Amino acid sequence: MEKQRITLAVTGLNNTDNPGPGVPMIRGIKESPDFDVRVVGLVYENLEPGIYMEGLCDRIFQIPYPSSGSDELIERIEHINRQETIDVLVPNFDAELFTFMKNEERLKSQGIHMFLPTLQQFQEREKHRLPEFGKKYGVKVPFSINLGGLGQITEMEDKFDYPVMVKGQFYDAYKAHNKEEVKQAFLNISAKWGLPVIAQEFISGTEVNVVALGDGKGNTVGAVPMRKQYITDKGKAWGGITLADDKMMELTRSLIRGTEWKGGMELELIKTKGGEYYCVEINPRVPAWVYLAVGAGQNIPEALVKLALGQEVKPMTAYKIGKMFVRYSYDLIVDLEKFAVISMNKEI
Amino acid sequence: MKIPAEVKISDNGFVFNSKTGDSFSLNPSGLELMKMISEDKEIEQIKEVFLSRYDVDELTFEKDFYEFCSLLKHFQITVQDNPMDFS
Repeated sequence: MEKQRITLAVTGLNNTDNPGPGVPMIRGIKESPDFDVRVVGLVYENLEPGIYMEGLCDRIFQIPYPSSGSDELIERIEHINRQETIDVLVPNFDAELFTFMKNEERLKSQGIHMFLPTLQQFQEREKHRLPEFGKKYGVKVPFSINLGGLGQITEMEDKFDYPVMVKGQFYDAYKAHNKEEVKQAFLNISAKWGLPVIAQEFISGTEVNVVALGDGKGNTVGAVPMRKQYITDKGKAWGGITLADDKMMELTRSLIRGTEWKGGMELELIKTKGGEYYCVEINPRVPAWVYLAVGAGQNIPEALVKLALGQEVKPMTAYKIGKMFVRYSYDLIVDLEKFAVISMNKEI
Repeated sequence: MKIPAEVKISDNGFVFNSKTGDSFSLNPSGLELMKMISEDKEIEQIKEVFLSRYDVDELTFEKDFYEFCSLLKHFQITVQDNPMDFS
């Protein structure tokens, strides 16, 4: 059968120590037996490693941060689309998702398909709304309060013991052992990610995660559970292994069923010594370790693109247990010309 | 004391718990012990084999055996059906 030719635009090519899911996403789709893919890399910074990785992207375009205005970002995408005719766009950053969700119809009318959570799904799983989310969908979540100012730290101390997790709305999390550390974390996080800052009960246990894909009708199209084996000081998985854990799978399926989740997601869970699972975060996109799912037998990136194109995808239920990923760093040697072109022309 | 199905034991002594993602390395006598436990052998049978095969007295074997079993429990490699079963 002839492969379907598509042009795919992807963000998140920052394969740094805080990696985005763009590169593994592209890697997964390139392995699809059904697609002949032309890749348009969308980058925010001119040093995102994905720009310089040979054979990864056919074109690269720099785009403005969503913080510089929703219209500016969307107009840039429309400009790129006039040159490249994008079939599918996969945004991979939490901070840009809102803008893309708001403009889904506008982009669709120009032939750009996406497969994103609905605004309601996106908002109700936000970190500062997690306690209500847990109650609504019957999932254990850590107790948390939203800090709008330094003054609330004393109020927080009345409600839970140290250590506490101090988290930003989109990124960043610090484990704080006393009031001073909470203050420091609050200041760091609020300066970068704004308010509220979330103070969350610290749950002791093993960090386990699930990458999953929901079809928007309550069905789980794919799901692979993983345990982080090596964690960086930024809390990112540098090594992980797929698990055989029915409880995690059932929890995932029940959440996707309950929320009718549409799109990729990452469930971040803590498994306590007593075997209980606490949901500490739900990321509304696939994680940077999504290629582990591909390696274990579920090409979630490919399935996501198919769903975006309105194609039918049969749920994938099997995966290889005990498959591991080990991340590595690698120095790309780059000619100054390439850096100069992306810096000056904003495209390659 | 049972070794659940999700715990895989390789012939080279590598043990992997597919539910927790934990892995362990066993030395040859640990592997031998683990295999006998997985075959549901009683402590008396295991003791007999070890005493005949190795230069070890009964007391030392029992001490080491129970220590090994408590490690297996701690790392969730075994499950206990009967809460009164301390072996």
